[in-house]
Amino acid sequence: MAYRPEPDRDSREWWERIARHEFAVQRCDICGTTRFPARAFCPACRSEAWHWQDVEPEGRVESWIVNHQAFVPGRRQPYVVVMVRLAAVPGCLVYGNWHGERPPEPGERVRASFDRIDETLTLVNWTPAGSLDPHPHQRTSFR
Amino acid sequence: MTAIAGVGYTPFTKDSGVSTLTLACRAVLAALEDAGLTADDVDGLATHRVGDSAPPTLVGPALGLTDLAWHLDQFGGGSVSHAVVGQAALAVAAGLAETVVCYRAINARSEFRMGGTGRGVPASPEVQYQAPYGYVAPPQQYAMYARAHMLKYGTKAEHFGHLAVTQRANAAKNPRALMRTPITLDDYLASRWIAEPFRLLDCCLETDGACAVVVTTAERARSLRRPPVLISAAAWGGGTSHLSAPDADPTVTAAAALAPRLYAQAGLGPEDVDVAEIYDCFTYSVIVQLEDYGFCAKGEGGPYVASGATALDGPLPVNTHGGFLSEGYVHGVNHIAEAVSQLRGDAGDRQVPGAEVALSTAQPGYILPATSALILRRS
Ligand SMILES: [Zn+2]
Repeated sequence: MAYRPEPDRDSREWWERIARHEFAVQRCDICGTTRFPARAFCPACRSEAWHWQDVEPEGRVESWIVNHQAFVPGRRQPYVVVMVRLAAVPGCLVYGNWHGERPPEPGERVRASFDRIDETLTLVNWTPAGSLDPHPHQRTSFR
Repeated sequence: MTAIAGVGYTPFTKDSGVSTLTLACRAVLAALEDAGLTADDVDGLATHRVGDSAPPTLVGPALGLTDLAWHLDQFGGGSVSHAVVGQAALAVAAGLAETVVCYRAINARSEFRMGGTGRGVPASPEVQYQAPYGYVAPPQQYAMYARAHMLKYGTKAEHFGHLAVTQRANAAKNPRALMRTPITLDDYLASRWIAEPFRLLDCCLETDGACAVVVTTAERARSLRRPPVLISAAAWGGGTSHLSAPDADPTVTAAAALAPRLYAQAGLGPEDVDVAEIYDCFTYSVIVQLEDYGFCAKGEGGPYVASGATALDGPLPVNTHGGFLSEGYVHGVNHIAEAVSQLRGDAGDRQVPGAEVALSTAQPGYILPATSALILRRS
């Protein structure tokens, strides 16, 4: 892959959890607000007290693009990037590649697929919730 | 009260063949010449950049300015282009400097292309959640938000196309513009995909060039060569990151929060604006800002453009120079300079008759979570 994520001191544990197929967000101990990506402070009450909370890795497609250029080296075009609004954290949008044989549909329900790249890295991509494939990384994604 | 006393350009090209330092010096000197000043009059320099250009600490000494009273090397992309002029106006109003030249020099085609090509992926804690998926460049990010707007409000490709066609028609009247051959809606629809829903003609040019403006007191500007253009309002501010965790609606930009502050400062409203030079890194950027600056209702930006409202002979001429889409991409400063031209009445074939109030805006906050804007007035 052309770009490998570089976890920082706020995000390292999130990536480690993803490698164990655990999808977590932070929840504020004081006011209960959930947030992603990982940050020390709750933007709602400015508390530094928080814990990880596992949430269902589900959401809805809010937008997507079909890339026809090699925006990063080594990508076969066209490829699809989806923007997903998390069901558990409606204030959060997350991104990933699309694992579907057809383009996404507006508002479509999707579920994360944990795609293992190597021993230390797993990425989160998105699959139509209606047709969850247990081995998504073994097939080609939608173009 | 502060004013813009001069504007200067280098030619816009696809390969300048010179350094950004050289481009910066040429634009600064051209703006001073326009104002009827020389480099000896300058006591302040300001720029914005993303590690891709010459800072004031190089440009000053290169022009023999070894005792600048004030300078600003603002990190940032197009979000801060107009904030730089606002900061210069503050420095002048506070008496820290009398003559500040704000410039942007860029070899965005031949050296440092935006969005990664030609340099590494930008260092931001949010990039790690996007770049692994091949999601790194501004056309991708704007295309993502454009589709969200299309899905929510029914904005159509033809609306984006109409904007591209209108701005090209303006560029045809601008000798400085890189792209002057008129296009049709069919040309737009036939242009190749970049990142659906964006086609080639949704995207700004990648340009080598520089542009500069001279900021001084209104009183001093009145004694100089050109009619002064008053800085009636300058506002800038930050908002929610749209990269990973927007709390809000991704079809609303930071401009929606900034606009009321901007208009209040000027004592004017959108109905008073005669001409608008709106940051157009992509077609959608203009459509969403027309909404967020109050020229039409939320969601109506597409139909508003398609109605012809933003054409040169419409009620709100927009990007009279052709914008980034057709004149060239100098990261916001060429929009400010064009507003100045319109208010001085020297915009030639593309002049909006009797223009007295201009709005000029920066990148509305999708990539860096901040934006900035100016309202300028004829003196
Ligand atoms: Zn809290």
